[in-house]
Amino acid sequence: MAGLSWGENLGKLVAFRSRSSTVLVIPLVLAGVLLATGCRHEEGTAGSTPGTAAASTSGPRRGGTVVTGWTAELGGVNKLIMPAAQVNSEVLYRMFLHLLEEQPDYQEHPPTFKPLLAKSYELSPDHKVITFHLRDDVVWSDGVPVTADDVRWTWQAEVNPDVAWEGTDSKRWITDVEVVDPHTVRFHFDRAYAKQLLDANESPILPKHAWEKLPFSQWRQNADWFRQHLVVDGPFTIASWEPQQQIVLARNDRYFEKGLPYLDRVVMRQIPDQAAGFTQLLSGDLDFINQIAPSDAPRAKASPRLELLSYWANLYVAIAWNNDHPLFKDPEVRRALTLAIDRQTIVDTLLGDLGRVADSPVLTTVWAHDDSIHPWPYDPAEARRILAAKGWQDTNGDGILDKGGKPFAFELISNAGNQLRADATVMIQDQLKKVGIRATPRLVEFNTLVDQTTEGSFDGAIMGYTPDTSLDLTGNYHSQAIGRDGSNVMRYRNPEVDRLIVEAAAQPDLLGMKSYLAQIQQIMHREQPVTFLWESKRLTAINKRVKNAKPTPNYALFNLKEWWIEPARP
Amino acid sequence: MTTFLLRRLGASLLLLLLILSFLFFFLRLLPGDPTQVFEGRRLTAEQRRNLERLYGLDRPLPEQYLVWISSMARGNWGTSLSQQRPVSAAIRDVLPATVLLASAALGVELFAALLLGVLAARRRGSASDHAIRVVTLLLYSQPLFWLGLMAILLFSYVWPVLPASHMRSVDAEFMGPWDRSLDLLRHLVLPALVMGLGAMGSTIRFVRGGLIEVMGQDYIRTARAKGLSERRVVWVHGMRNALVPVIQVVAAALPLLLSGSLIVEVVFSWPGLGRLAYQAILTRDYPLILGTTALSAAVVILGNFLADVLQALVNPRVRDA
Repeated sequence: MAGLSWGENLGKLVAFRSRSSTVLVIPLVLAGVLLATGCRHEEGTAGSTPGTAAASTSGPRRGGTVVTGWTAELGGVNKLIMPAAQVNSEVLYRMFLHLLEEQPDYQEHPPTFKPLLAKSYELSPDHKVITFHLRDDVVWSDGVPVTADDVRWTWQAEVNPDVAWEGTDSKRWITDVEVVDPHTVRFHFDRAYAKQLLDANESPILPKHAWEKLPFSQWRQNADWFRQHLVVDGPFTIASWEPQQQIVLARNDRYFEKGLPYLDRVVMRQIPDQAAGFTQLLSGDLDFINQIAPSDAPRAKASPRLELLSYWANLYVAIAWNNDHPLFKDPEVRRALTLAIDRQTIVDTLLGDLGRVADSPVLTTVWAHDDSIHPWPYDPAEARRILAAKGWQDTNGDGILDKGGKPFAFELISNAGNQLRADATVMIQDQLKKVGIRATPRLVEFNTLVDQTTEGSFDGAIMGYTPDTSLDLTGNYHSQAIGRDGSNVMRYRNPEVDRLIVEAAAQPDLLGMKSYLAQIQQIMHREQPVTFLWESKRLTAINKRVKNAKPTPNYALFNLKEWWIEPARP
Repeated sequence: MTTFLLRRLGASLLLLLLILSFLFFFLRLLPGDPTQVFEGRRLTAEQRRNLERLYGLDRPLPEQYLVWISSMARGNWGTSLSQQRPVSAAIRDVLPATVLLASAALGVELFAALLLGVLAARRRGSASDHAIRVVTLLLYSQPLFWLGLMAILLFSYVWPVLPASHMRSVDAEFMGPWDRSLDLLRHLVLPALVMGLGAMGSTIRFVRGGLIEVMGQDYIRTARAKGLSERRVVWVHGMRNALVPVIQVVAAALPLLLSGSLIVEVVFSWPGLGRLAYQAILTRDYPLILGTTALSAAVVILGNFLADVLQALVNPRVRDA
């Protein structure tokens, strides 16, 4: 081997007159051993767990290990004291059960719910009380039954100021959670509104008997304590935890759905970035990562080992115009800007099949999207006409429109590290130049982008929006969400939109929101508080030996309990 | 000697205090704040105020400073805002990995520097002297992350003999103790080599220079005249004096291993202090940033202190000055 000859040469070089040639032997032997084990090691594959039987049946098979890669690390086991990072929800929702399981079937109608901890639920006639009937066969992993007491106590923790749960807002209208009997629990609301059920079901139920020993006031200093006192009622529990390296999930043998989960273990391995993860996927060291770059898609398709999965992500990207900025105050001018940007070409160039032009704050894939809206076309002539009507002329012949001696020039910011958006800013700069507008792209660090947009000290910013299934637009478009209190970074103020958002949210159910949302979408289409750029598909790839994996836009591991693996060929 | 030591120690502690104080206030100038959590959902103003109250961030900055510095002095490093547990626990989790990597790298560095330095000195002006100079200069002038990436490309992909990242294999928990240690060692090789070889450049120059100077001294001629073997003359009589400046350089450069480990740890997904600090900065986790920095600052100062002490031990003129 080349390594040994390198060692031998070095040995010759230094052995000339030193006793240290004996010292040299040690690293050489070591190198030999390491290289030898290296060769042996390669024969193993990612999931070759010792002790799993290789039965040759078609259909779901129990056993085996799947190795998944993640760029972020699980922050702990207590959801209520952790940031709402994606990986936290992915894992914790497989360990702790919700009352109901929200289904990813929101394309034609509002999402439906499957029974989970609760076998059924009903609303009171005035819609102010929801009663959940719990299963009586669900136990925590230490054998203690899951009861209505757990549900009530979880709610108490969720709204406790010392726990300071990030999602506590979802429980704002719940006045009490009443234990009727060990398997019946009533959520009392002080009003009826559209996303009541979503709010009641937000966040999983936690083990009262195990975790109530630590007073709420000490929760935020003691994440480790919950790990040491971990009991679960979901399909998986944590078998081992090596910080920054990997976390191993193992089957919870007391999980109530008999026969599930199929897998013995799921390894969640830390990867430095998507690119490294994809390489490990190709080599078979990983079975699954939750996202791959579009540029890796052809290699994933070509690999005999991998299956490429794609779905429309819960994401639209838009240019947020600072509506307080003199340049962008006028809705007509904003519409001219949209007309001057060739979004179809941007999508075709940067995303291809994986994207489409966005036209609304409600995603095209969602039931409430108003299909009568069509994206504004690319029409630079019309854009120039509108701008001219607003007094923008190129009076000094420098190619840039001006008015009152001031040029139409602004800065377009985007977060560094997102190549797609960086590329888009450059294309937009080029397209706007053709109608006489000077946009200067600038990449800023993510935290800086958040700071500048929150404070309103920016002109235009490329932002990603991730709407949730409640379709509540308050946080992004209501005027009360301007500033530190929300994400209306555009400073968009339209009393009619404010009213419609409030009325939509006050409907008795999600379906009732549809006509209000349609009106909002029409207004925004006219006023373009943001220029909607694109919606995109998310790509993932999975080793073909893993069967029945059905990632959803919200959770890559949504049906993890039903994943199974094909027996290894002999 | 005692007065000298006490004076140096006092100065070191003062320096540490200054560094930490500066850092405490400097950190608050960074854009973003810990309650505006990376990747997290937006908080309402009320929630943010509540969190600030829980973490004491609502107090005036001078008060926060006094609280922090006094609890630091009592050995309480505070609570990590992103991990919701004591900073000391977060550091304790990752410190062994960093110490392992740094000491392995130091071993590589010293071993290679001694061998190559002596060789270069003994064959001054020869082809091997020039070759060593060129190679070490090359290694020394490459950024560590680049060396790391190249090592991964070469030894994990082109010629896949060593793992590219992490500290253990996926299935390490099913291995016997012997295989487990071997597994760890295999993962250690690339990062330790990259760090050690990247750092050895200046040490080699010191070994070479020191030895060349020493070998011209009268006592070396005496040793040769006594009829000692050349090996004994070089390694016992020569090195003993040539190594004094080297030890000082290495002691003072120890902290560089810590800072170098940040980059190497990120490149190789090594679960150490460097990556912890990196994460802490991304999430604006003030107590954790301060804790990890305090630790590296303490090591830097300790390294310099040791270098001073060594020099004083060897050279009486320093301690009498």
